[in-house]
Amino acid sequence: MKNRDNTGWIFVLPATLVLGLIGLIPLITVINYSFFEIFILDTRFWVGTDWYTEIIGSGRFWASFGRSTLFSVLILAIQIPLGIAIALCIPREKFWVGITLAFIALPLLVPWNMIPSLWLSLLNPDTGILGRLFPQFGWPADWKLSVVHTWAVIIAMDVWHWTSLVVILCYSALTTIPAAHYQAAAIDSAGPWQVFRFIQLPKLYNVLLMAILLRFMDSFMIYTEAFPINAGGPNGATMFLAVDLGEEIKAFNYGPSAARSVIYFLIVLTVAWTFSKAQGRLDRAEAA
Amino acid sequence: MKRPLKYLSVMKRPLLLSFIAFACLPLIQMTLISFMATLPTPATEVGTFTFSNYAGIWTDPNLRSAFINSIAYVLINIMITIPVAIPAAYAFSRLSFVGDKHLFLAFIAFRITPPVVLTLPIFQLFSSLGIVNSVFGIGLAHCLFNLPISIWILQGFISATPKEMDETAFLDGYSRPQFIWKFLMPQIASGIAVTAFFCFMFSWVEVVFARILTTTNGKPISMAINALFGFQTDIGLVMAVTVASVLPGAALLFAMRNHLSRGFKIGHV
Repeated sequence: MKNRDNTGWIFVLPATLVLGLIGLIPLITVINYSFFEIFILDTRFWVGTDWYTEIIGSGRFWASFGRSTLFSVLILAIQIPLGIAIALCIPREKFWVGITLAFIALPLLVPWNMIPSLWLSLLNPDTGILGRLFPQFGWPADWKLSVVHTWAVIIAMDVWHWTSLVVILCYSALTTIPAAHYQAAAIDSAGPWQVFRFIQLPKLYNVLLMAILLRFMDSFMIYTEAFPINAGGPNGATMFLAVDLGEEIKAFNYGPSAARSVIYFLIVLTVAWTFSKAQGRLDRAEAA
Repeated sequence: MKRPLKYLSVMKRPLLLSFIAFACLPLIQMTLISFMATLPTPATEVGTFTFSNYAGIWTDPNLRSAFINSIAYVLINIMITIPVAIPAAYAFSRLSFVGDKHLFLAFIAFRITPPVVLTLPIFQLFSSLGIVNSVFGIGLAHCLFNLPISIWILQGFISATPKEMDETAFLDGYSRPQFIWKFLMPQIASGIAVTAFFCFMFSWVEVVFARILTTTNGKPISMAINALFGFQTDIGLVMAVTVASVLPGAALLFAMRNHLSRGFKIGHV
């Protein structure tokens, strides 16, 4: 159906140039650095793949990898179903839709470095709303010493911050369903589950794929928000992949941090590739 | 079948309301503290109601310029992103060219690349270009994640416009760029507004690039807040600045709410 010729390249050229400048060139620089021992940028020594073997062989890397994976899985398991559920709950009246969406989207507008401060002040035992309420339900005053509690706070914070995005994306897809589909379903006396399963969910596939991609990757590489909650503690239990990299960069370890960046980018590529495969499958299923 | 249906629709309202309450709770907390004196001064006691935190924003020249910097770099970002994204979105939506799928994949890969991975080389690149410590540098760096997502949103809008429109325009002798400018842009105006809003949203709150690209000058609002943390942090002032930083976005959000609610077709390449 699409015209097959290469005029398309002219139209994508500006975008390709911008992303080439701010994406590809820095990426190549990082790949280059990752094979060197660098004290200051002018003097460097070729070390081959030493940094890579060191990182891959370290228990610390795999521990962070495991923590980030667990975190992402929990985040997806909560945010995706919750996002769909909330999107389905949004009222039909035009006036209320706008108001509801605006309130739901508010957390997305808070500067990221302030989000941990907001949650810490919420949990402050003297002035916080939750901090004064929670101890009555057995919330310990020294929750920062507990792995479970720290994780719970970071997960609640991320759910608060990002579920709205899933809601907005899902809602936008739901509005594209023609009213006739619902009427047809009503004539067939379909129950709410059947309406969801056969009418609403298929419309959501494409958007959900993007939502899962964004939420997976952004939570897998959570950086700004996670660290200030408990400084990666207790005992490193909330040290995630990106936090490790950030520490390395702050210490000016050019070589190891570059190698780590390349490893992370390979993870990104694998995820993006899986995403495009999944999208291809969706397209074929739709065409069939 | 009637029973679970009723049960479900009764559940909807409380679920939605409790989610909104959850979304607002930290913001309520923030607003409460922003009206509270949190450092002892001769005039006020800690914990009393005060407007002085907000007055503090107005009197601090660093905070005022931070607001201007933030608005400036977000506008620069939108002005780069949208004109570059529209033709690209058009190409992905309507044209087929060698490597289109792979190119889209590469764009998406840059969107999901964590900024911290590229901080160091972007800092070096931008210093050699002479655009560190300037709002232009941040605006450009944020294209890394805003450009791919804008292309994705816009091509959904473009795919939703009927293809006959293109063909009629071409029969009338318009070229593709003319068609995009004269016919397509008015058609997807609300799409462009939604995209610009998303750019604003992701750019305004970002801190990793904003931090490394502004060591001496051009500090945006998020970094100005960071600078308030110190030996004796006035958390009331911090919260007041945060409230103020959310307000422009909230105003835009309420202005945009009907565009957001009209919904948009988000498709695929």
